[in-house]
Amino acid sequence: MKISECPVNKLGVSAAQKLIDRVVAEARKGRLKKRNLVWLEATGCSGNIISLLNGSNPDFRYFIRDMVNLVYNNSLMASEGEAAFEHLVRVSTADFILAVEGAVATKDKGLYNVIGNWKGKPVTAIDAVRWLGERAAHVIAVGACATHGGPSAAKPNPSQSVSVQSVLKRKVIKLPGCPCHPDWFLGTLAHLLLYGQPLLDEFDRPLMFYGTLIHDLCPRRSFFEKGIFAEKLGEKTCMFKLGCRGPVTRVDCPVRQWNDYVNWPIGDDTPCIGCAQFGFPDAMEPFISYDIT
Amino acid sequence: MARKLIINPLTRISGFAEIEVTIENNKIAEAMTKGFLFRGFEKILKGRPPLDAIYLTQRICGICSAAHSMGSTLALEDALNIIPPEQGRYLRDFLHGCEFLQNHIRHFYQYTVPDFVRLPEVSTIYSKKNGDYRLPEKVNKRISGNYFASLEYSRQAHEMLAVLGGKAPHNHGIFINGITTQPAADKIIKIKSILNKIKEFIENKMIPDVYCLAEYYSDCLGMGESYGNFLSYGCFDNYSDLGSLYVEPNVYSNGQKVKLNPDKITENIDYSWYDNGPSTYKPFETVPEADREKSRAYSWVKAPRYMGLPFEVGPLARLWLTGEYRRGISAMDRTIARVLEARKITAIMVKLLENIMPDISVQQEYTVPLAAQGSGLVDTTRGALGHWLKIENKVLSFYQIITPTVWNFSSRDSDFRGVAEKALIGTPIENKDNPVEIGRILRSFDPCISCATHIYIPGHEVRTIQIV
Repeated sequence: MKISECPVNKLGVSAAQKLIDRVVAEARKGRLKKRNLVWLEATGCSGNIISLLNGSNPDFRYFIRDMVNLVYNNSLMASEGEAAFEHLVRVSTADFILAVEGAVATKDKGLYNVIGNWKGKPVTAIDAVRWLGERAAHVIAVGACATHGGPSAAKPNPSQSVSVQSVLKRKVIKLPGCPCHPDWFLGTLAHLLLYGQPLLDEFDRPLMFYGTLIHDLCPRRSFFEKGIFAEKLGEKTCMFKLGCRGPVTRVDCPVRQWNDYVNWPIGDDTPCIGCAQFGFPDAMEPFISYDIT
Repeated sequence: MARKLIINPLTRISGFAEIEVTIENNKIAEAMTKGFLFRGFEKILKGRPPLDAIYLTQRICGICSAAHSMGSTLALEDALNIIPPEQGRYLRDFLHGCEFLQNHIRHFYQYTVPDFVRLPEVSTIYSKKNGDYRLPEKVNKRISGNYFASLEYSRQAHEMLAVLGGKAPHNHGIFINGITTQPAADKIIKIKSILNKIKEFIENKMIPDVYCLAEYYSDCLGMGESYGNFLSYGCFDNYSDLGSLYVEPNVYSNGQKVKLNPDKITENIDYSWYDNGPSTYKPFETVPEADREKSRAYSWVKAPRYMGLPFEVGPLARLWLTGEYRRGISAMDRTIARVLEARKITAIMVKLLENIMPDISVQQEYTVPLAAQGSGLVDTTRGALGHWLKIENKVLSFYQIITPTVWNFSSRDSDFRGVAEKALIGTPIENKDNPVEIGRILRSFDPCISCATHIYIPGHEVRTIQIV
């Protein structure tokens, strides 16, 4: 007789299942409340949604099944055109969290970045970020372009791109990074779902990810202390004299690492280019320099 | 008779665009593809340290960032007169291959499949009021299951990239002379193991799935025909020991295949939002100024031409040029070619891995010349990518980029429509309230822009029709 066929066991399994179902139900209406999430792509490269797809535990499947009801995302949604946009219109009066990747192009009334069309009129990134940003329960700026303009606003900033915060008079949680690590976003989201707003620093970055300088966590720190510096890429010592921005970049790359936690830029024998620090890219150049003495 | 409809956003593509179409007698009579995102990277790059282009140009695109690190690296090597060692080429081409796999798996399952397969409504993003779904329930269930199963493999393609490239998207590994780090045995065996899993998935799931779509949606084998002009800058080719593993720089037109001559590439801006200078120029000559007010212009996408003609680029173009796939030119043929190419890329990557020697270090210190110029032409996931740069006083003084999507989604010139515009024209629209054909054709190019469609009735008030 198979275990599942044993009547006693069957009862046990079903009782356990009922309990699990109840816990799940309680969890869902209680602490881990599944909430609506809108992921808006604005003036950028859509690299943050690609990075999110690289998440593992939680992976993308768990994210959309158990954490949020993903209402809108240009890269992934099945519907298109006004039917897609209708999802936005409908959720705008409900409870939702807004994630924005990309900057907000402001030149020529925002026409450098049209993200959709509603009732025959173009909807610019500015229109969408203002409209939804004012209504969302929380706003998360995901990636360098959203948090401070990033590469989209690099000088001379032809599209006159600005950060999400620049067009919204409200708290915007900022997750700089180019792209944003999936854990930085998913961890922040989990905190919002389970416990509310995470502890933020003075620039609205969650301290759990952005609390420590790369330099302070760097496995090559001892080379820095001993004055042993790499002279070209590919060396295993301190990248400081090649232009490493670890000493000014606050984020947990050295301990977290990327893409199933296998590597990170310094692990690849290159300098950190400060992609998770405000000011990237302009303030972080040159990325690689052989002239620093 | 005809009417206007708008699809904006056309979802499941990268970026922003709009397509304007006139329908007459249930057929697309006129079409304009319009790019709707302008950031001006070519202007941004001016005045910057030349080597920074390798990391900065990747920020043009999140799904194909490694492609830009390839283009800029090749252009810099040309400018700095550096010939990379073969081991360096194997390594960086391997990293480029990882991106092909990531892109093709995601484009097929996450971007293309929802046009043909009803997805389980686990989230609002999968809800679709009506579609044209024809698969029997069992088949539908299998492929929609693979939609989710595929996520693990595209993710692992990026993991392979990170093992030797630091992270993805926006890798640190691809650089002048090859890659930055050394392939140690533990890394080689790790990527071998991952590559093996991805290869099995492509062979056992992805290829049967695409043929299944082709069977149930055979009408898609007869729509979306382009000019039949194909162009490639070559990739995984011209190794000194291994020869060519894939495609060489060639063009195909009028049934003839000839060697590519980069001097015959031009760009035209008659119908795009740029001004100030000649309307047709060669890549090294000028980068036009943005002008959103220009009359008769309708797109941010310029019109690249080869010998004055529009050319299609991408997986179908490549397999057509090598002679490995010539069944036909259509929306479904493009998708089949993309999936078959994914398998081909895994075979190339296996070959490259076999020839990689452990612990080889290819990096050196580079001196940026006072003045130089260089071009980097390479075929990438979506097709031919070109970077053209000039250096003056040790900084970038000029940067021109022509991406694959610019070839495929070009605006018109005075003689020809762009490739995707041509592919739309003449397509019968079965249901005007649900013109699924348009999205299927446009997505078959894997465009890096999102689109909208307007259909005009001359003399009638423009009406917006909801499209799903």
